[in-house]
Amino acid sequence: MTEIPCTYGDDRDAAIVAFLYDDADGSPAARARFETHLQNCAQCHADVAALRGVRAQLARWSPPEPTFAMTNPQSNPQSAIRNPQWWQEIPAWAQVAAALLFLGVSAGIANLDVRYDHNGLSVRTGWSPRAGGSDGARSVARAGAAGKSDVSETLELTPGTNNVAPPAGMAPASGMAQGAGDVVQSLVVSDQTAPWRADLAALERRLKTEVRATQASSTAQTVRAVSTTDADVSRVRVLLQESEKRQQRELALRIAELLRDVDAQRHADLVKIDRTLGQAGVEVMKNRQQLDQMNLLYRASQRQ
Amino acid sequence: MTWTDEELVAKSVGGDHDSFNELVLRWERPIYALAYRTIGREEDARDVCQETFLRAFRALPGFRGQAKFSSWLYRIALNLCRDWIRRERRAPVVQSPEDVDLIEMAAAAEPSESIEDLVARKDLSRLVEKAMTLLPEEQRTAIVLKEYHGLTFQEIAELVGCPLSTVKTRVYQGLIVLRRELSKNSKAIR
Repeated sequence: MTEIPCTYGDDRDAAIVAFLYDDADGSPAARARFETHLQNCAQCHADVAALRGVRAQLARWSPPEPTFAMTNPQSNPQSAIRNPQWWQEIPAWAQVAAALLFLGVSAGIANLDVRYDHNGLSVRTGWSPRAGGSDGARSVARAGAAGKSDVSETLELTPGTNNVAPPAGMAPASGMAQGAGDVVQSLVVSDQTAPWRADLAALERRLKTEVRATQASSTAQTVRAVSTTDADVSRVRVLLQESEKRQQRELALRIAELLRDVDAQRHADLVKIDRTLGQAGVEVMKNRQQLDQMNLLYRASQRQ
Repeated sequence: MTWTDEELVAKSVGGDHDSFNELVLRWERPIYALAYRTIGREEDARDVCQETFLRAFRALPGFRGQAKFSSWLYRIALNLCRDWIRRERRAPVVQSPEDVDLIEMAAAAEPSESIEDLVARKDLSRLVEKAMTLLPEEQRTAIVLKEYHGLTFQEIAELVGCPLSTVKTRVYQGLIVLRRELSKNSKAIR
């Protein structure tokens, strides 16, 4: 070998690479020519040795282990590719916690208010405060009288009157003449100068006339209806109580199942962690022991 | 019985979805590795890998078999990587963890490998990864395809669409840069 600069030619780089990777596509004659040159060229020899070292280092680079979610041999590949099931990697307890948090936040945002008391079942959503009062029709009337725009949607079942109050802003159903009268009266009081006051006054007069006429003709029917209503209300109440108990039982059962699943998953996770830590611990202990032995040997040799 | 890629492609075109899933199982790791080594981000590499198979599935009826199925897949993946790099307008990113996760490392250890060896191996792997990001895209792609996927220079030339001699030059120049960078970094950590 000499220290003379390489004189191989323009295709030196390609020749080195072809030699390095044992390129089967290259011509044997070209390879033989480079091998002959390599025996006499220190520069090429050094380059080939160094690049072999680089290749050895490159071989140590491995990408992180991927978690593929795209393959599912039992299903359509397109849908399998499109539905990565990354959430399955999340522990079950975390999924349950996230679901409960989501429900809580959703209920908070919706301002959900569910009540079941002596006034009946009441489900409310929306932002404005409750209008107050047990009579649905009167609640609507008061909200209207105060000039509030109640954007909440209210459904109230009132056992005593068997009235279903519609959402604010909607006209009351027939059979709620008294409530309608209140609405009219309240609106008249609230805005004496409104241009529609005359229309409302006319409507009030007409409603009162109609109510008087219908009251006289339907007294007997009303008595029967009231007794039927009471029976229905009590039946509905019993049904609601039964439904509520059934729902509570189902809820308790679901919670118990969830807790059992969470517990099982947690246990499995803990066992896995414990096993992994154990392996790591054993390795660390082995290394520690080796180091201690080395230290002992070193000290012993120092004393000698 | 083991089917060849081309046989599985034919069956898949005929409506057998299991055959395509077999192809995915066979090639997902190489394609992921190619994407990861090209763009350097684990999550994006997974996305590229998924998108590669999705595009392949859609384009399968048009696959005439002029090239090997694997070369066709590599071409799709490389185009997606190139799009990613252009979109991001930056060099590949090295994901180097701030701290060493002993548990993860212990799980990755070879049976006869000590913790020290493992740490050294991980360090070297990170050094190589970092050095690779310094290469121009063409050199990096050529080296990745040659070094890690064992393609011939001719196959690489056809894949990337350049002369054979250009591929060899790119590999050589890339190796020279890596030699310099790895030597520098090795000295730095000593």
